[in-house]
Amino acid sequence: MAAEVVAAVGGMTVEQIAASQLGMKALGAGIAVGLTGIGTGVAEMGIGSAAVGAVAENKDMFGLALLFTVIPETIVIFGLVVALLLLFV
Amino acid sequence: MLKPKPMSRLLIAASRDQLAPVIAELYRHNLFHIEEYVDAGAEGYEGFKIGTPLSGASEKSADLIKIRAITSAVSLSADDVDKKPSCSMDELQTKIERELPLLEREVEELTVRRSKLDAREKELEQKIIELTPFADIPVDLNLYHGYKRFTTIAGYLSREVILNVPHEMHIAKGEGKNFIVVVYPTERRSEVEKTLQEAGFQSVPIPNESGSPKGRIEFYTGEIAALKKEILAISTQLEDVKKKHASFLVACEELLKAEVDQTEAPLRFATTKQTFVAEGWVPTDQVTTVTNSLIRAAEGKIFVTVVPTDPEHDSVPVKYNNPDFAKPTEVLMDVYSRPGYSEVDPTLMIAIVFPLFFGLILGDVGYGLILLIMAYGLRKFLKGEGGRQLLDVLRNASISTIFFGIIFSEFLGFPIPGWNPVLYSRHLMSEGGGHGPNIPELMVLSIWIGILHLTLGRILGMYNHAKQDHGHHRTLAIMANFGWLAVMWGILIAIWSTAAVPLMPNLTGLPVLATIPPVGFGLNVGHATGLVLLLAGIIFIARESVLEVIELPTIVSHVLSYARIVAVGLSSVAIAMVVNFMSITMFIEPQLKNLSVVGVIIILVGVVVFVIGHALNTALGILGGGLHSIRLHYVEFFTKFYKGGGRKYIPFGMKRRFTEE
Repeated sequence: MAAEVVAAVGGMTVEQIAASQLGMKALGAGIAVGLTGIGTGVAEMGIGSAAVGAVAENKDMFGLALLFTVIPETIVIFGLVVALLLLFV
Repeated sequence: MLKPKPMSRLLIAASRDQLAPVIAELYRHNLFHIEEYVDAGAEGYEGFKIGTPLSGASEKSADLIKIRAITSAVSLSADDVDKKPSCSMDELQTKIERELPLLEREVEELTVRRSKLDAREKELEQKIIELTPFADIPVDLNLYHGYKRFTTIAGYLSREVILNVPHEMHIAKGEGKNFIVVVYPTERRSEVEKTLQEAGFQSVPIPNESGSPKGRIEFYTGEIAALKKEILAISTQLEDVKKKHASFLVACEELLKAEVDQTEAPLRFATTKQTFVAEGWVPTDQVTTVTNSLIRAAEGKIFVTVVPTDPEHDSVPVKYNNPDFAKPTEVLMDVYSRPGYSEVDPTLMIAIVFPLFFGLILGDVGYGLILLIMAYGLRKFLKGEGGRQLLDVLRNASISTIFFGIIFSEFLGFPIPGWNPVLYSRHLMSEGGGHGPNIPELMVLSIWIGILHLTLGRILGMYNHAKQDHGHHRTLAIMANFGWLAVMWGILIAIWSTAAVPLMPNLTGLPVLATIPPVGFGLNVGHATGLVLLLAGIIFIARESVLEVIELPTIVSHVLSYARIVAVGLSSVAIAMVVNFMSITMFIEPQLKNLSVVGVIIILVGVVVFVIGHALNTALGILGGGLHSIRLHYVEFFTKFYKGGGRKYIPFGMKRRFTEE
């Protein structure tokens, strides 16, 4: 009852509040994945170009180059984890 | 297992006339990794010189170069050929002498002719490019030349221009810029050039031709077509040569390579006028076989002995020693770096853990089957050894994917009808009474995998340091590795004592030692243990290297990095579900209810969406599953213990495919 009264003051019903909370969660999840994706992309940009250069010089560098290139991948994975936790937990 | 194959250093000494039989015998065994002799006055090698090739070396090399020139001209590789040549080795030998020069001449003539025609084609294409702008000017090409008092120029102009000089101008309108041809009196050149330059004129050379430009272009186009036909004919001829002689050529190449290798082997030995000495590595279990057969080949006139070695200072070549199922994974090790001789070889662990990670990430019966079919289907196209190994890795990974697909009850993103997921579900939507995803449990499960994997890595690190280092440094390095473990587990125990986490021990109920008054936070035995472990760990790490302490946060990031197993897996489930929703729920289902002609087209669109979507997701699945699993090994696991940098074991000899001894 009290919740409904408070909600009514804000001009929203309980259902509306629940729906908007869900929307906020989805927004948060989207922002988490999107921004971390950009972060990873920016970080991998420099490493990737340098890595391709190194591999062109010496093919044996491939493993190491791949390793360096995927290190920032962790950032977007963290974003994905946060998004999943937001949506499902 | 978990160790490279034990190697022994063999020293062979004999008189020089035994050189040929000894080399042939070593080559046949394909076991002896030659340690090249360098003329640097090493101890015990005073007065020795690098050997000279056996007789016939230069003729054989010349023949080999001929063969290689032919095979590269017809772009033939040994992987394209399956069958052995039908003739015996002696016949092959005589065939090399008789047919090879003829074949070489034929192929060379053809390739020379082809490259001449190619050059001519390029030349004509260039001419057409030069002529094209003039095509729209209705002036014959011979009118551009041969004036004493006039000059002709042509080029592009981006805007209109007015010349204050008597002149004749032709303009062909183009997009953005116009092509102009101007004829003006030569004595007024400077004025004209100035005006044109101010208008942004780009000059174009005037082709030295006669006749109408369009006619010339047509003529050259016709000539190019004729040239192309001729080139095609030559290519077919080369293709015929390839088809006819493929097995002969690859067999020749193999035979000659074996002979050249053998005749040039003395270049890697130490010799005097009368004797030679060869040193090299042989797998320890093969030493007796090799020794005995060498003695037999040299009729006893040879001295073979095992030289004592020091694995730390001699760089011992590394030969993998793995059970058959783990052999394909060696390709993943070589991509990173071959293990050193005295360290743990983690190939076996990757062979087990990599497919598990891959399966946990992709975990779908449908995709698993697609990958399994790919792993067998691509065998026809990937014939090299590395390619085969990669396909075997893919096969193991796809079997694991099918297994986890059954566990997760997934088939191309659909739940398998009548089968509930075992343990935890990854179904994102709980339609039709199925359960929703167990994200927290799956997340904690992947964290557990990370904790155990990293603990294993650190333990291997301790083992490696115990084996490789000496004295004070050894103790410090082992303690530092222990310190990293202590910090990780200390943090974990502290977390368990603070809050209950699903699937992890709950230590919140331990007896409280003290309470921090302002927040009312109870410090229990678990916290104390965790704190002690953490501090002890930091001290151990700092004792080896103080700078390492700033790396402490990587403990958290490395453990959390394993969450990708679930995160990447769920993203592939999500893509599959979206594809299914789009194709079936949006396109196909509504149309099936009342079928019409338009409906059939929409259903077809739905099918296309389904196929393309799942093809894309399969590609992403290989990338996601493969790259992330291998990355967890390379970045998180290997950095704890692995050094690598081992020397590859390259035995003297070859695996014969087309020829016999």
